[in-house]
Amino acid sequence: MGLFQLLIRRCLQLVPILIGISIVVFALVRLTPGDPARLLVGPRVAEEVLVEIRQRYGLDQPLPIQYARYVGQLIIGDLGHSFRYKIPVSQLIFNHLPPTLFLVCYAIVLTLIPTLILATVAARRQGQWPDHVIRVIGVAGMTMPVFWLGIMMSRLFGVSLGWFPVSGYGEGFVDHLHHLFLPAVSTAIWVTPILVRNLRSALLEEMDSDYVLAARSKGLPEGYIFRRHILGNSLLPTLHLLGVLVAYLLGGTVIVETVYAVPGLGQLMINSVLARDYFVIQGLTLYFALATVLVTFAVDVATAAIDPRVKL
Amino acid sequence: MKAIGRSLLALAVCITMFGAAAMAQTTIRMATPYKATVLDPTKSAAAGEIELFGQLYARLLRRSADGKLEPGLAESWEVSDDGKKFVFRLREAKFSDGSPLTAADVAFSLSRALGEGSAYPAPFSAIESVEAEDERTVVVNLKAPAAPFLGYMEIFNAGIVSKADVEARGPEKAFTENPVTSGPFMVKEWKPNDRLILERNPHYWRTGHPKVDQVALIEVADTNTRIAMLQGGEIDVARDAPFAQVGELDASDKIDVPLHPSTVIYMTLLNHGRAPFNDIRVRQAAAHALDVSALTKAVTHGHATPANTTLPEALLFHHKDYPGISQDVAKAKALLAEAGAPQGEAVIMVTAGSVLSEQLAVLIQAQWAAVGLKSKIEKVDVGLWWDRLTTGDYDAAPSWWYNETEDPDLAARWALCGACGNKSFYTNYNNETVNQLTEQALNEIDPEKRKALYIRMQEISTEEVSQIPLYYPPYTNAYSTRVKGLMLSPALQWNFEDAEIVE
Amino acid sequence: MEQVTGQGQASFARAPGLLLLGGAIVLAYILLAILAGSVSGYDPDIIDLNQLLQPPSALHWFGTDHLGRDVFSRVIHGARIDLYIGFAGVIAPLLIGTLVGLVSGFFGGPLDALMMRLVDLTVAFPFFVLVLAIVAALGPGVESYFIALACVGWVTYARIIRAEVLVIRSRDYIAAARTLGLHPLYILIRHVLPNAISPVAVYVMTDIALIIVFGASLGFLGMGSQPPTAEWGVMIADGQTYISSAWWICFFPGVAIVLLGLGFSFLGDGLASLLRAGR
Repeated sequence: MGLFQLLIRRCLQLVPILIGISIVVFALVRLTPGDPARLLVGPRVAEEVLVEIRQRYGLDQPLPIQYARYVGQLIIGDLGHSFRYKIPVSQLIFNHLPPTLFLVCYAIVLTLIPTLILATVAARRQGQWPDHVIRVIGVAGMTMPVFWLGIMMSRLFGVSLGWFPVSGYGEGFVDHLHHLFLPAVSTAIWVTPILVRNLRSALLEEMDSDYVLAARSKGLPEGYIFRRHILGNSLLPTLHLLGVLVAYLLGGTVIVETVYAVPGLGQLMINSVLARDYFVIQGLTLYFALATVLVTFAVDVATAAIDPRVKL
Repeated sequence: MKAIGRSLLALAVCITMFGAAAMAQTTIRMATPYKATVLDPTKSAAAGEIELFGQLYARLLRRSADGKLEPGLAESWEVSDDGKKFVFRLREAKFSDGSPLTAADVAFSLSRALGEGSAYPAPFSAIESVEAEDERTVVVNLKAPAAPFLGYMEIFNAGIVSKADVEARGPEKAFTENPVTSGPFMVKEWKPNDRLILERNPHYWRTGHPKVDQVALIEVADTNTRIAMLQGGEIDVARDAPFAQVGELDASDKIDVPLHPSTVIYMTLLNHGRAPFNDIRVRQAAAHALDVSALTKAVTHGHATPANTTLPEALLFHHKDYPGISQDVAKAKALLAEAGAPQGEAVIMVTAGSVLSEQLAVLIQAQWAAVGLKSKIEKVDVGLWWDRLTTGDYDAAPSWWYNETEDPDLAARWALCGACGNKSFYTNYNNETVNQLTEQALNEIDPEKRKALYIRMQEISTEEVSQIPLYYPPYTNAYSTRVKGLMLSPALQWNFEDAEIVE
Repeated sequence: MEQVTGQGQASFARAPGLLLLGGAIVLAYILLAILAGSVSGYDPDIIDLNQLLQPPSALHWFGTDHLGRDVFSRVIHGARIDLYIGFAGVIAPLLIGTLVGLVSGFFGGPLDALMMRLVDLTVAFPFFVLVLAIVAALGPGVESYFIALACVGWVTYARIIRAEVLVIRSRDYIAAARTLGLHPLYILIRHVLPNAISPVAVYVMTDIALIIVFGASLGFLGMGSQPPTAEWGVMIADGQTYISSAWWICFFPGVAIVLLGLGFSFLGDGLASLLRAGR
């Protein structure tokens, strides 16, 4: 099957998912108590003003009609307007996308080399002390609450030592690297152990496989076998997991962004939930779903490209 | 492992050097939890906007650093003998686009502020008409004399906007894309939910002001992050430092926390609309149960004054000598016994994410429990909090409010008057005498007589425990020492135009 | 070379060690939670305004917080609420997921297709966002969190069980049971479930740890348990303001979370090795 056809099929599969998600989010958001109008203009406003605002945004209409209108907008590609900022949701998402994207890529880059090294060491020294140490540190990293780590690190590296800014995104590439270092490390600390664990068991499995035994019986040096055969074949499942993690991260940087004040999508999401900015919440959720599906697709394609045995 | 550690360190060093690039322009950077979401001065009365509108739109009058009203866009004015007609004479001023600011713009702006669609028309409710008599003369007719009227020509939503621009671009566009301003600053860049960069308005009527080129308002919700940013030199001003850190911050050479007075009051709302607090004896018992000064000391680390009346200390006519309701456990128990022990638990509602109100709630709960008043705490997010407050679905709610002017008129309407539109801050407190006094005090021109009226209102409402006043906090804004002359007025207006950067 | 050939034994030998260590940690937490009152020496909710922000000492091992409450006592009592969150939170996802996976995998057909579409839908939903939205809709509190978990957490269990069931279904003994005319429900419960459940048992351990950490994150965002309940996430959030002057308020609850997470992870790992060895 051609790549293009596959893409089309995936997109068609996406339609019911997006419809389902839009209904669930719409219902959730509208049934959440809290009046966006009051949150919009502050506490001391007159009741008439609130009524007028609700009318202006059509919030006084019955829910099915509101939903129908929303879907009508979606079909022509319009995610609606933010109540608070009076600008299109798509533009708002677009503005907040770069910091989150940068952060996710940064975290992944910081993850890759330690993952390779640690997993290799753990697999080759399986059952010995390096393996145990890597395991314990890894588990600790995985269960360490990101917000707690964030507080501790920003206090130590940001304030006490002054090495890194404790917040924001900065201007320009180098400044981004500088600003997002602590948030990226905080993220990498729990992503790396997950990947290490996965890669380690894949490596062990390959080390036991017949062709490795065959190579070994031919007297090839262990290091050579490892680099030439085992490592390459073990990377595929890890790559797949990496894809899943990236998809998760695109919607899961809320806490890191909160602790380090990164103006990304996670912050936008939490602020919009608090402010009941309906269209932003709905738009963001659809975006996250779309991103998840696309990343998964990209990983599938990449897997197929690397390994001819995998069929799409 | 070692290699990674070393390269990380190298990376860190190299990054740190790049980060320290010098800035060409003078910019005051402030981190604030209050968001800027609207740039139209008539469309919001939320804290973030109140502080911002003053920077963008000049008013007819302004306040000097020591709080005196002085000429703003109006260089002079006259009041008729009956106090119902004001004639303002405008100075020659320009908007940020260079066009002249005329009486027509003033009439247009004030009409918007008091008319339909205005978020906060209350201050202008006394106005009958606003007319432009000629290019430079504005006539305002009042329905009845109103003592605080001149002061209201200075507040945040009395800012002057360009009639020509709003009519040409329409009110939505005119205030989202590069609004034409009359105040010290104009919008350079706006990243919603992140930051707002203001730059000096070259046409501002006060020549020589502002002294800095730019002001950056950066939204940072987390208190600690703001403080860490200030300590790390990323910003110059951190809005609302926690009381716990005031001492430590102020001790630093590079940071000042001057604790300027504010019109803020912390109190506990009580719902008079249902049991148990519909009974005055239970309310009084609840008030007598609290050791307000110990509570204030614990929460604010001794930086605030315990509250003695229902109105903020920084307002005119605050009743300074009133003793307030002091802690008296025996009396509280007696009052409760007399009222018959309340059934069930009173619901103390707090906003999620606010460590301070949670702390207050926990303290209040413990002190109430000591006199036999049972309660449970329910934490809800801000949206839900307002929903439940306005529908009366709560018993007690520790909270705070502030006033946009130093005149108590709007404060009384908001917090004490049961017939002024919001049921005394949604407590359902409704005392006929207090309601009448509110109107009477608005129209009373003689300051001494006004004072007597407000004193009486404070005595009645405090005695009847309309709310339980807790404390009057100062502002805890923390400033880098490189900023000179910047302060926030008690009524939430910044004087960025007077501030300077010294290295 | 030895380490490669010896690996099967190594992992088998390690299993009880990990299992014991993890079990010991978790058991210690459970005991502390049960005996919290008599171990801690202080009432976790007693406010003492004369003892604000005291550093750790012989009197207060972990110091006191911003209301003069004993941090050690609050951390110990926090084990109650956080263990409760972990154990109670895992029940609904486990039951729902197991049921869906069993039925879906065993009967197949249109029911399976429908269930899998539901799984796709839930997976495409960003987990964090959905939990956030549900908690916002229902109001902060542990119960809202449980409901949110029930809505999204079942997916992993359903997938694990379904994969196992698909393998078991084709085994000889199931075919034999079918030809004997046994009721499908009987086969499902008597033969399929016991064989499919072991990988789930391993995942439950990891999941409990994740649920606790995630619950603490919600507490940190102000959407967790109600005050004055001592919960680790809330304690960290409260202590954040005092981090520069009173690090202990924040520090100890964090350590408590990490240690408990380690315990559950070891337990899961040990269990996995044991089950692998047993097969």
